[in-house]
Amino acid sequence: MTASLLPQRTTRTRAPRTSAPEGYKINWWLTALMLVASLTVLLPLYFTLAMALKSPDQVGTGTGLAWPNPMNWDNFAEAYVATGFARAFMSTAFVTVFSVLGALASSSLVAYAIARNWNHRFFRGSFVYLLSAMFIPFPVIILPLIKQTAILGLDNPAGVVFLHVLGGISFNTLLYIAFVRSIPVELEESARMDGATTWQVFRRIIFPLLAPMNATVGIFAFLGSWNDFLLPQMMIADPALQTLPVVQMLFQGEFNTNYSLAFASYLMAMAPTLVVYILAQRWVLSGVMRGAVK
Amino acid sequence: MQRSNRETRPHALSAVASTARLPPRFPQRYTRHNGPRAVKGWSTAGPTSASRTLSRRSLLRMASLAGAAAVVPVTGCAAGPTEQGAVTTLRFMQNKPEVVGYFNQVIRDFEALNPDIHVIQDFNEGNFVPGLVRNDPPDVVTRGFAQATGDFVRKGIFADLSELPEASTVDPQIQDLVNSWGQYNGHEISALPFSLAAAGVIYNRDIFDAHGVAVPTTWDAFTAACETFRAAGITPIYGTFKDPWTLAQGMFDYVSGGVLDTAEFFGSLNAKGADVSAAAAESFTSNFRPVLPRMLQLASFSQNGASSKNYSDGNAAFAKGQAAMYLQGPWALSPLVAANKEVRLGTFPLPATNNPADTKARVNVDMALSITRNTPNMAAARRFVAYLMEPAVVNAYNEKHAAFSPLKGAPPVTNPQITGLAESVSNARFYQGAATYFPPSVPLHNYIQSFVYSRNGDQFLAALDDEWRRVAERTAV
Repeated sequence: MTASLLPQRTTRTRAPRTSAPEGYKINWWLTALMLVASLTVLLPLYFTLAMALKSPDQVGTGTGLAWPNPMNWDNFAEAYVATGFARAFMSTAFVTVFSVLGALASSSLVAYAIARNWNHRFFRGSFVYLLSAMFIPFPVIILPLIKQTAILGLDNPAGVVFLHVLGGISFNTLLYIAFVRSIPVELEESARMDGATTWQVFRRIIFPLLAPMNATVGIFAFLGSWNDFLLPQMMIADPALQTLPVVQMLFQGEFNTNYSLAFASYLMAMAPTLVVYILAQRWVLSGVMRGAVK
Repeated sequence: MQRSNRETRPHALSAVASTARLPPRFPQRYTRHNGPRAVKGWSTAGPTSASRTLSRRSLLRMASLAGAAAVVPVTGCAAGPTEQGAVTTLRFMQNKPEVVGYFNQVIRDFEALNPDIHVIQDFNEGNFVPGLVRNDPPDVVTRGFAQATGDFVRKGIFADLSELPEASTVDPQIQDLVNSWGQYNGHEISALPFSLAAAGVIYNRDIFDAHGVAVPTTWDAFTAACETFRAAGITPIYGTFKDPWTLAQGMFDYVSGGVLDTAEFFGSLNAKGADVSAAAAESFTSNFRPVLPRMLQLASFSQNGASSKNYSDGNAAFAKGQAAMYLQGPWALSPLVAANKEVRLGTFPLPATNNPADTKARVNVDMALSITRNTPNMAAARRFVAYLMEPAVVNAYNEKHAAFSPLKGAPPVTNPQITGLAESVSNARFYQGAATYFPPSVPLHNYIQSFVYSRNGDQFLAALDDEWRRVAERTAV
């Protein structure tokens, strides 16, 4: 099996390389423009890397463009210890994983139910009800929410997960409903003919076909929960369970900022985002819909 | 090497996928109900994009499961300490992230002496109000004392500490600074000062020595010193006007504190309430006029382009000796030394008049210890506060962090960076900055910045009167 896979892969990746000059012309102006545009990402990343490797007396000197010499790798270890990185990381990972799973599961179910029962007044009304939640600015309700979650014993990462899922449900449902409508009902009918129940239709047909939207919602949910500051800061009572963005405040005093430690810790916190971004981006691009509706 | 890595990766991924025995996608599943063979059929069907999708999804799924599994032990052990009945757990909320490490050591020392108390330090001050809302605030709190904390005091958030023996060890004039923000029931002591920060003009001793300039004690001597530096081609004062707060705590507070009695002024202004108008005797317009020309004079001694420099620019430039003086508080000392270990600094209180006896230092109670009123661990919290208020602990902290100890009979400061302020502090010739009296809803810092740029004093003072009245009307009871 593996033997049959490998040669095919190599031919696939090599083929465009040889045919490129004949196949299309390279637009050098556009390429140059894109290269310049890529600096908007690469330059800040360079500053972050350089700053993370500076010792305190290197921080304030020079233009910031110079690469630190010698490099101070201890910043990472120091930031790791100072923030209690492992514990904060696990707490953030817990919040993120369950926020993403919760967002995917709840919103797609709701969207499927509403989209396929559009002729019922109750479902149309519930859609409007869900959408209306988007008009309530979050800071307005945060103190009552804190009170409520404290009464329910949710002043911990689990409560943050719950609120992330709840807070995202209106926007995510909006995304999903538009997508569910584009899926032909005939696909479901054929599954019904084979004796599938509603749950099986959703699980076996609708949910896999939602993959591009799942990726979109998943990425939104991931970034939203991984980077969220306000909700964990206000909600999580026990400092030992606090998440990374809040713990990293450690390096920013009112009047002093420890830039090198801060950037080292930001880099460590950024790493999973980068990994997930690379994985999820290719997932989106791979065109999951192909082959489903022929 | 790079390329061969990339080429082997899809193979590795699909191997993971097939060993995980994922169900194939729907059409195969529904047409043939034979699991393992369907898997084989799917993967030999060729490396289509669909197969890569599945393998990546499986990877994500496994990663998320691993993440979830790894979290479980964390939440498990976090529940540990609270269940050990004999040990009381205290939460200590502390307002300065930069001294977290220092207080961890203090807490270790305290726990060694008091094995029945476990203290958790929390520097996330943003969680204080939520803590009050959920009726689970931290047991012991340190806060900087100004308008916002005064609000909590007046609402009775903090317990009365006047019975604590340590309360009598505090210098009464420094305790008065805390009490000046209001006392619950008119007499309670809601906080014991732990650290007093004194601010003045930070100066570069080498530049002063090189030009034979002595520390000025009158306004005229101060301006003469500035002229000397300017004539020598040295920027007299480094201005960081881009950060408006530096203007507020610098020239606005220093000049108004030196020229006026700020405590008295704001006392009568508050007493007047919402009735204050620009014409009233208590108004800014009637009292702050002498302050303004001196502020503008200070601004004129700044370098060209001060309006585009912020606080960190100022620290970097002043540490390198690009100016003789810098209107900043003790918090700037450690970044200055971090930027240049060789810099020799001193601080003197700004003489705002020509009578040396009027010269006062700007102080603020940087940390004050309070116990929240409803804490279930009152006895333990009192023991912790008593430990923190021991002279050895208080004095060691302030010695190390360029601040003044609020205790009676504290040893004289030896740090040459702040010795110039010692006389003012020990004689209680100090004031709390006028800017700290403003409620946060007045954008005072921006008004000051726009005054320094536009030089329109009438407009500035009228705006302050207007804003003050608006807030007083809103908050009137």
